[in-house]
Amino acid sequence: MAASSNEIQQKIRELIYNTCIHLDDYQWEEWHDNCSENFNYAIKAYSPEVQADIKYHGGDKEYMESITKLLNKHNSDQSPLRRHCTVYRVDVAEDGKSATAISSLVVHQTQLDGVNSHVDAGTTSVFLVGRYNDKFVIDGDSIKFEDREVRLDTRRLDKGTHWPI
Amino acid sequence: MSSRNHAQWNATPDLQRGEWVDSRIYSDEQIFEDELNKIWKKTWIPVCHESELKEAYSFRTMTIAREPVIVVRGKDMVVRAFLNVCPHRGNMIERRPSGNYKKGTPSGTPKTMTCMFHAWSFDMKGKCVNISRKEAGYQDRLNENQVGLRELKCEVYFGGFVWVSLNDDIGVSVAEFAKGSLDVLLPSLSEEPLEVFHYHKAIIPCNYKLWHDTNCEFYHDYLHYHNRITGFNDAYFARKNNGFDGGHINVGSFEVQYENYEGSHGREELSFPHLPPNHWYMIDMFPGVNFNLRGSALRCDLMTPLGPNSVMIEFRGLGLASDSKKDRQTRIDHHNSIWGPFGRNLHEDLLAVTGQGASMHPLAESRKILHGRHENETIHDENGMRHYYEEWGKLLDRNPSDPMQKFKPYPEFKEQVAQREAAAAVE
Repeated sequence: MAASSNEIQQKIRELIYNTCIHLDDYQWEEWHDNCSENFNYAIKAYSPEVQADIKYHGGDKEYMESITKLLNKHNSDQSPLRRHCTVYRVDVAEDGKSATAISSLVVHQTQLDGVNSHVDAGTTSVFLVGRYNDKFVIDGDSIKFEDREVRLDTRRLDKGTHWPI
Repeated sequence: MSSRNHAQWNATPDLQRGEWVDSRIYSDEQIFEDELNKIWKKTWIPVCHESELKEAYSFRTMTIAREPVIVVRGKDMVVRAFLNVCPHRGNMIERRPSGNYKKGTPSGTPKTMTCMFHAWSFDMKGKCVNISRKEAGYQDRLNENQVGLRELKCEVYFGGFVWVSLNDDIGVSVAEFAKGSLDVLLPSLSEEPLEVFHYHKAIIPCNYKLWHDTNCEFYHDYLHYHNRITGFNDAYFARKNNGFDGGHINVGSFEVQYENYEGSHGREELSFPHLPPNHWYMIDMFPGVNFNLRGSALRCDLMTPLGPNSVMIEFRGLGLASDSKKDRQTRIDHHNSIWGPFGRNLHEDLLAVTGQGASMHPLAESRKILHGRHENETIHDENGMRHYYEEWGKLLDRNPSDPMQKFKPYPEFKEQVAQREAAAAVE
């Protein structure tokens, strides 16, 4: 028996929350496993300075896999990021084969080595504020991310980060 | 000798003058104030790109040396700059980062810059066009002709960048100010109109010159896995670091092997006009501007010094205005892969200068910062920084190696100037 719309909505909520844990804990492969082969990722914001929608980061599944694989080759700020996410709504298509979700997102950063660790390590601040706009592909019991747009309100990103949000 | 005690650590390096600087130039409050007054208020600063002011009556706001500035495009399509300050009670006239005056504001009529405080209005040429209840308050003692905006020197040059100077007496055009340093990219940037596709900003707790230094020296490519894997070869190490009068430099090109970085691709299909495939030029202009053209994407860093240990850096990415949607997206992806706020290189550079800022904060003990590498003025030579600080020392009349003492010309550059003058005399 096919899952009901309510059951799919609940599974999608769980998927979004579990993905936050994967991303918080640097479990990149688990994250990629929850993305379809056609997955596309983008971090975007509207810039009132230049009055344009700006894409800050992103690519297809292959690109996101390659850059997370190479993270240990790079010098990065290792200050942990923690995603606080609330799923606002999940809409399942009538045919039950796709869905969209909108989630509110706040990411906090707790300083480790980003400035002077003796002084700053342990200090938590808001790293960014935005939304996840997600699309999913549903095939029986399988639900995978088809598209994730991280839509930022925050545009002053200072040092930035190497990690996907 | 291995490690050093305090006296050894503070001893003058066994190098020539100019081959090290004193870290107080990156942290001293008074030096910073001198820099604002003697450098930043005196020179040309690019503040935005003309593609941010596409239509008549559009505007952008910014700050130069703490002075609020507004740039507007008039109905005659000429771009002009003004102090963004109302002559009445000193309020900032425009608070938004950008917009268009075709539509009126709550206090003002369309097609005017109107101070919301008391509704004094100005046209796009800075002329005051309305003093509210003028006769009732000022009778015949003051009229609009006496209270125009303060106009600033403004030029659109070098691929459409808008340059502003607070100095009415600057006396040179941007091209003259550049002293030839921009020429290497003029053909690529002048062939057709450019357009901004990327903007973000960072406020970093370090002195502005530390960011400029990082843009001026490539020895720090050890910081970047991407640059090592795509760059380190004979042609890379042969790149020339060229000094120009005025403290400007540019860096010669070579062919980057982008495909050596997994997930990355060559940029040859979208090279800027006249640029060989996958080539990479860079220009660092005094006192803090960087143009960086990597094949398909132009990056421009504009700095606004906020304090001796704080700088705002605005990062722009530009492509060709004629780009198809698909080409534009490819350019954006090329740009973001290393230069976006989530890209591979920019984060690393910003981490490094943050670390310098943490070590060289105001009132920190002074240190000797070495700029002494000589490699025949090629990519890992530190002549770019030495060249910058000779100009800096001249303008402030401070010795970069001992900034409480007066400036003396660097021996290295005295020789170069003499050689240049001799060559000019022969010509």
